[in-house]
Amino acid sequence: MNDALNTLMQDSRIWQGHKQVRNRHPAESTGYTALDNQLGGTGWPRGALTECLLDAPGIGELQLVLPLVRQLSHEGKCVFWLNPPHTPYAPAMARGGVDLERIIMVHPQSHSDLLWTLENCLRSPVTGLVLAWPGKLASRDIRRLQLAAEAGSNICILFRDREFAGHSSPAALRLELTAGSHQDLKINILKRRGGWPGQRCTLSLQRTETAPVSRTPAAHGARAASQP
Amino acid sequence: MRRIMLWIYLHFPHLLLDQIRRCRPPEAPLVITDGQRQTVLQACPAALQQGIHPGMRLKTALTLCAELEILCSDRHREHQLLEDQARWLYRHASPVSLCPPDGVLAEIGSLERLYGGLPAVWQTLEQTLEDRQLTAWLATGHTPLAARLLARSGQGECTPDKARMEQALARLPLPLAEFDSATLKRLERLGLSRLGEVFSLPAAELARRLTPEVLAHTQKIRGTRADPRQSWQPPHTFRQQVDFLQEIEQTQGLLFPLQRLLNELEEDLCWHQKDTDCLLLVLKHRHHEPTRIRIRTSGPEHRASTFLNLIRLRLEQHSLKAPVAALILAVRRFLDYQPAGGSDLLGESQDLNEAWHTLISRLQARLGEQALQQLAPQGDHRPERAWTARPVTLTNKPRPEQSQALPARPFWLLQGPAPLDQVPETWLSGPERISGGWWDGQRVQRDYYIARLSGGQLAWLFRDLNGGWFVHGLFG
Repeated sequence: MNDALNTLMQDSRIWQGHKQVRNRHPAESTGYTALDNQLGGTGWPRGALTECLLDAPGIGELQLVLPLVRQLSHEGKCVFWLNPPHTPYAPAMARGGVDLERIIMVHPQSHSDLLWTLENCLRSPVTGLVLAWPGKLASRDIRRLQLAAEAGSNICILFRDREFAGHSSPAALRLELTAGSHQDLKINILKRRGGWPGQRCTLSLQRTETAPVSRTPAAHGARAASQP
Repeated sequence: MRRIMLWIYLHFPHLLLDQIRRCRPPEAPLVITDGQRQTVLQACPAALQQGIHPGMRLKTALTLCAELEILCSDRHREHQLLEDQARWLYRHASPVSLCPPDGVLAEIGSLERLYGGLPAVWQTLEQTLEDRQLTAWLATGHTPLAARLLARSGQGECTPDKARMEQALARLPLPLAEFDSATLKRLERLGLSRLGEVFSLPAAELARRLTPEVLAHTQKIRGTRADPRQSWQPPHTFRQQVDFLQEIEQTQGLLFPLQRLLNELEEDLCWHQKDTDCLLLVLKHRHHEPTRIRIRTSGPEHRASTFLNLIRLRLEQHSLKAPVAALILAVRRFLDYQPAGGSDLLGESQDLNEAWHTLISRLQARLGEQALQQLAPQGDHRPERAWTARPVTLTNKPRPEQSQALPARPFWLLQGPAPLDQVPETWLSGPERISGGWWDGQRVQRDYYIARLSGGQLAWLFRDLNGGWFVHGLFG
């Protein structure tokens, strides 16, 4: 009996909790203590993919990565933006303290070009961070990107539609982002390498100074626009 | 002290043939014919083995060897090739002068000390010729013409000894002495057959019985009359051409000849201590306009491997519209070579700089230059004009002081204002009036508000003068 147990214990297919190596990948702080705590006190994983899943741009996803972009750009690392859905507004980034000299926009024509660019950027030592809006990605492609990120030890954050939340993905960190009722961002950790998923946290993002609207902005005008 | 002038002459008996043979593995026997495709001018060793020899009629040659490849000679092309030879010779010797169509002359008397003796100069040249897979007949001479005649006779040797050279000249048969045909005939009728016999004629008689030009020619050979040569200066451009006998239909096939061209470019750039950031690749087609491909690197570069990688990327994206008959690589813009500077002991900072250039060049080569952009704010109140995009450049200028005093602006700016199609959930701030552009006809007067849309997005809305509502940005 003991013998059988021993052979069973040596079977590599058996996962043994106590032998788990604490895989401490280097990470960059997100700049938000609440989120860092949920991520095991680390932050954005280096040399790995992170997926941010959200419904539509504009709910605070850039505010989430802003501290990282700011920090890396000041360290002299390049930050690539691949296929952003809208134009990143330079005055706003300058206001946010980002060094625009290190920000490079890339607009590849085709999907294969996008993957190629992602891989090349991730492998380069000059890159610090790649922000990409890749759309649909095959699992095989994600694995490839994961390897590239590992090779370059760079941070890669993919912004994807929330419909992909149900799909499996080899990304090291998967965050589901939803807008809160006020100016806040609800983060649901779907997957975290070396940790349990399911943590949630809410970041209150002070995106604008909420100066109260001085006069009601002709609400009927806005309504009129909605009813052609 | 009067310096002893010593000349070396390089005679290229079949330059065009060599050029073609070095660009492709030898296949069928190859001959070069004259413009009318009547006579064989040059024949490759394989053709010579088949019994074909220069001067033979093409028809005869074709009966000897059916699968003969034929190429027409081209004056212009031959001159270009000769200049290419002068270009590399110029690195070893100066002054260099061209003797079209097939010779290059260089003064080497002054190089003896530099190389440590005449045999060393000779050896260097022979080594270079071998590296370049060229056939050339060399000869030294105490005058330019003497060197030329000896080289063309194929009996040239490496000697600084004037008496020895004069002996060799005297033994030269008259037809090789380059008299014009009428003079040659008259001299032969006089019963002369060697150049030495002409030398021994009294000068006055030679001028009187024949022509003063004949006397001048002999005097130039012997060095008793000045024979000034125009010195050749290398042009400040690089241009090399490869001709293909069999047209190339796939871009992959271009890489092999390109490799050699790029190696030559690298060598040339190194010799001139120059870098370049722009290559022009011209693909010539038989029936179409040539295709021009411009390859830019993001920084100064001279290494062939880097250029080849960039070209490979570009060619992968490029499908040939027609088979390629010839390939030209040209560089017109040269930048001074910047020695690696400002790097630390381990060279890390330099490496990153180089990695940056490599990455950006790679991306630009594959995606096109307009696909990469850098953004910068611009001094204008109108949101759509408050930023600019420019091609990527590496600048190390100090960052402008970031001011928190800039007004709150969204991270995302939409391509253009989009009509608002819903009633915002909550109004957060506003209005902020932006009015401007009266000076350039792009008048804008808008009241901007920040509001939360139903999807949870924070939007930057405005109402224009006509009361229309638009979304202009999103606070991402």
